[in-house]
Amino acid sequence: MTLNLRPLLSSLLRSRTGAILVALQITIALAVMVNAVWIVSQRIADIEQPTGIDDDDTFVVAIAGLGRQFDLSSALNQDITYLHGLPGIVGATATESVPLTGDGQGTELFLQPGQRGRRVDVGELQTDTQGLQTLGVSLISGRNFRPDEIQPFSKADLEQSVPEIIVTQATANALFRGANALGKVVYDGAGRPMTIIGITHDFMGPVGLGYPKYQTALYPQIPGAYGAYFLLVRTQPGRLDALMQTAEQHLARSNLNRVLFFAHPLRFYHRRMIAENRNMAIFLSTITAMILAVTCLGIFGLATYNVSTRTKQIGTRRAVGARKRDIIAYFMVENAFILSAGVVAGCALALALGYWLSVRYDLPRLDLYYLVGGVFFLWIVGELAAWQPARRAASVPPSVATRTV
Amino acid sequence: MLKMQDVSKVYRTDLIETHALRNFSLEVKSGQFVSVSGPSGSGKTTFLNVAGLLETFDTGIYHLDGQDVSRLSDDARSRMRNEKIGFIFQSFNLIPDLDIYDNVDVPLRYRRMKAAERNQRISKALELVGLGSRTKHMPSQLSGGQQQRVAIARAIAGDPALILADEPTGNLDSLMARQVMDLLEQINEMGTTIVLVTHDPELARRAQRNIHVVDGVVIDSAPYERRMAVDERAAGNSMPG
Amino acid sequence: MLSYYLRLASKSFRRTPGLTALMVCAIALGIGACIVTLTVYHAMAGNPIWWKNNVLYAVTMDSWDPARPFDPDNPSLAPDQLTYRDATYLMTSSIPKHKAIMTQLLGMLNGAPGQTAPIPVMTRATTGDFFPMFDVPFEYGGGWDAAADRGPEPVIVLSRAENEKLFGGSDSVGRTILWNGRQFRIVGVLGDWQPVPRFYDVVNNPFASPEDAYIPFSWGPTLQELPAGPSSGWGSTPVNNYQQFVNAEDVWIEMWVELPTAASRARMLAFMNSYWAAQRRNGRFQRPLNNHLTNVGDWLKVNHVVSNDNSILLRLAFAFLAVCLINTVGILLAKFLRRSGITGLLRALGASRSQVFYQHLVEVAVVATLGAAVGLLMGIIGLKAVQHLYSAASALDAGSTNYPALTHFDPIGIGWALALAAVSTVAAGLYPAWTIGRLPPSRYLKSQ
Repeated sequence: MTLNLRPLLSSLLRSRTGAILVALQITIALAVMVNAVWIVSQRIADIEQPTGIDDDDTFVVAIAGLGRQFDLSSALNQDITYLHGLPGIVGATATESVPLTGDGQGTELFLQPGQRGRRVDVGELQTDTQGLQTLGVSLISGRNFRPDEIQPFSKADLEQSVPEIIVTQATANALFRGANALGKVVYDGAGRPMTIIGITHDFMGPVGLGYPKYQTALYPQIPGAYGAYFLLVRTQPGRLDALMQTAEQHLARSNLNRVLFFAHPLRFYHRRMIAENRNMAIFLSTITAMILAVTCLGIFGLATYNVSTRTKQIGTRRAVGARKRDIIAYFMVENAFILSAGVVAGCALALALGYWLSVRYDLPRLDLYYLVGGVFFLWIVGELAAWQPARRAASVPPSVATRTV
Repeated sequence: MLKMQDVSKVYRTDLIETHALRNFSLEVKSGQFVSVSGPSGSGKTTFLNVAGLLETFDTGIYHLDGQDVSRLSDDARSRMRNEKIGFIFQSFNLIPDLDIYDNVDVPLRYRRMKAAERNQRISKALELVGLGSRTKHMPSQLSGGQQQRVAIARAIAGDPALILADEPTGNLDSLMARQVMDLLEQINEMGTTIVLVTHDPELARRAQRNIHVVDGVVIDSAPYERRMAVDERAAGNSMPG
Repeated sequence: MLSYYLRLASKSFRRTPGLTALMVCAIALGIGACIVTLTVYHAMAGNPIWWKNNVLYAVTMDSWDPARPFDPDNPSLAPDQLTYRDATYLMTSSIPKHKAIMTQLLGMLNGAPGQTAPIPVMTRATTGDFFPMFDVPFEYGGGWDAAADRGPEPVIVLSRAENEKLFGGSDSVGRTILWNGRQFRIVGVLGDWQPVPRFYDVVNNPFASPEDAYIPFSWGPTLQELPAGPSSGWGSTPVNNYQQFVNAEDVWIEMWVELPTAASRARMLAFMNSYWAAQRRNGRFQRPLNNHLTNVGDWLKVNHVVSNDNSILLRLAFAFLAVCLINTVGILLAKFLRRSGITGLLRALGASRSQVFYQHLVEVAVVATLGAAVGLLMGIIGLKAVQHLYSAASALDAGSTNYPALTHFDPIGIGWALALAAVSTVAAGLYPAWTIGRLPPSRYLKSQ
């Protein structure tokens, strides 16, 4: 199969316009595709971040009291007792902050009293001894809260302090930079000391309140400040829907001094949390696919046009001895030249675009593997687009050469 | 050199069946300069296509340069065209985007020749047709006669055994036409067999032998002068295929 | 002449139906993508009260911790909300034409006819000027006056949706309803009001619907209801009860003023600054002077209400349109040049260069129109898909994002997109049409 590169190139350069237009499309398509896929991969990585808790089997019930007469503590106790009695429940706890919802509290931990020393922002989850079990979180070191360490709600002390907390590994690292955090003391905004009695695997707290996702702290407190609380309930796998319905029906009616707002599985909140990233990934993928499709159509169109306007030339070449595959090779190579020009310019544009995106939108810099992968992919797909026109060119009969119309 | 026996070619469409060649028999010996003439629609172009392996034929036997070409594959036919035949077309068929040099180069490239040998052959061919100094020119910059001479150079660059010329002077004025015919005679004197298809009696006369084709059949193969009377009689009987 | 050109154009299309379909599809896709992203972007970035952009101002003062800024990522920004002390003082100024402070409370409504259980309702606790200042439409009744604010009087305004839910949409003005167990009198029902984004409240989800109930601001402190929205504080003083909360350096109140003239703006800022100076002497406001009046457009920008993602998608859509247009130029050029034999003939028969140009331009215009029409269709389908995508993740509880309103058909956005499409396609066709007109006729009358 003879390639005849130089004459082909000089021929291509003489009728440039169509080729330039297609090369331009390829340039833009490569730059866009590479950067879009890069962004999508980051979003997917974000979406796939593990929550660290058993959100598939956990649901949350929101309860609020009616009026000042509502005895929150006893109602809460009743609810917890009821839930523990339900077969199929693995754990239940009451809290004011619900993981993954963006609804809750964030607070700060300081290494020194008086708001001095290193400061770490954390998501705050109030819970009792059942907290770890309900969340499905395991301890790396230390221990769980003891029943006597759980602070009951006190109306006189809205921002009560706790002597012990449990933190995630991420929080411990942020505070003590790799040194052992177990047993160490940290201080809240009011300068009150808290001892770290346990360190858990990383999990997400309420999230969305401006602190890093896995920096969470468990506070041994019973909620009550807002006259409302959330019940976090974890079921055995596969039993969530039935149990949530049962619990909801019972809790809605068991106490007339309060109202049940809603009962939702945690995975709904997880889906909401990842929604923006998921949607962005979908949009980016869709538009990128469309750009690719249009570019391939452009390549196909140009190749078809070239074949249809050069039938005389094809016939002549065949007449002087070109085989069918020589003709195919001719058009595929011509297409390859155009592709390569577009791809080279596209690489430059992709890098420039990647840099601009990282600066303007504060995104990480483009990973060059994506550029290389994009080049290969576009090259292969671009050549495929010209395959059918090239085959059609090869089927032009040599007798075309002797026609005079 | 070229031996056809009872060759037939039929074009079939949904509506019509055209017998372009009917029991066509012809023998051209090596080194001969033969013209093929006949009225329009007589099958001259079909003969040329078949002879030049541009089209297949339905029945009959065709030997080209001693080889039976009836059942050759497409690739084999391409190879034969490349090595054994040189074409000269009525509308020159030069590739407009290539310069003179590259145009003559085209068939040599398909033969996978080394650059040095190609260069030598191209220069020699262009010298022979008198265009050695214009290798970088584009076809659009040349006159019709010059373009046809480039086409001739292309046809002879590969040293073919047979040259098939299809109305080579059809698009030229009389002066250029004479130049082209002189060139063809020159090439024939150097040993190449030439078959010239034309309806121009002036050209037909210049060949050593003339083959007259009517309705896809060889009527006569003798020097031209005796043709006229036969034609008039044949015209009365012939019907469009 | 135009109808003749149109006839020529339609013949040309019928001769190459595949190519024409390809062109129209490519343009339509590009336009569709632009319509979707432009509409969403315009909805999210749009200023729903643009006619008052130069008179409405968000009030901010930097009362934050001298040791660190309120927002470490944007250290020059003041907190987006005010403390109780600062908000109530600033409300004493008579400089603004309208002024309102506001926060979000969670309430339970009960006592409507046929109601069996209380229902939760997001409530905006605000002052009476809120309604005239933001041009809030009323279906029945109206808001309340300064006297009601002072009381506070137990008056309440319901949203149209809430009124629909509780009273079947009838005129409920004058009736009473229980809010958190206390009787309130309905004085107004809002009309259809869906500002997107909810510009007056950026600390809660700015794309949520407006609240369903409105009561005078002072009810919050009177009933000691803690705000339902985010409140942030600094300082080491204990906050153990509502009274301490209200006196602390916790910010939980947003404030808006209407200042029609530059002079009134200057006076308001001077008022804020002199208060700042006085408080500073007493030990507060230890950060550098950072008091601002920010108009709606800037307020939305500063608070990053338009996410980066929308901006990226918008640029991406334009890149796509560019590819589609380049594609179209290529196809048109090929199409026109392939017909150059016929065109050469027309020129030989007497058509002038500009006539050939116009003839082809008409063809381009027809393609542009078809592409725009199909593109509009694709845009509508695309918007419906976006709507579906967003609504799948929304509407879980009160205050969640109201995306269906986002993709409500915004004629301005769509109009812009279509105009853009038509103009750009015609521009794309200019080059091929001009090229074909320019070619010497003789070149194309000869056979190839």
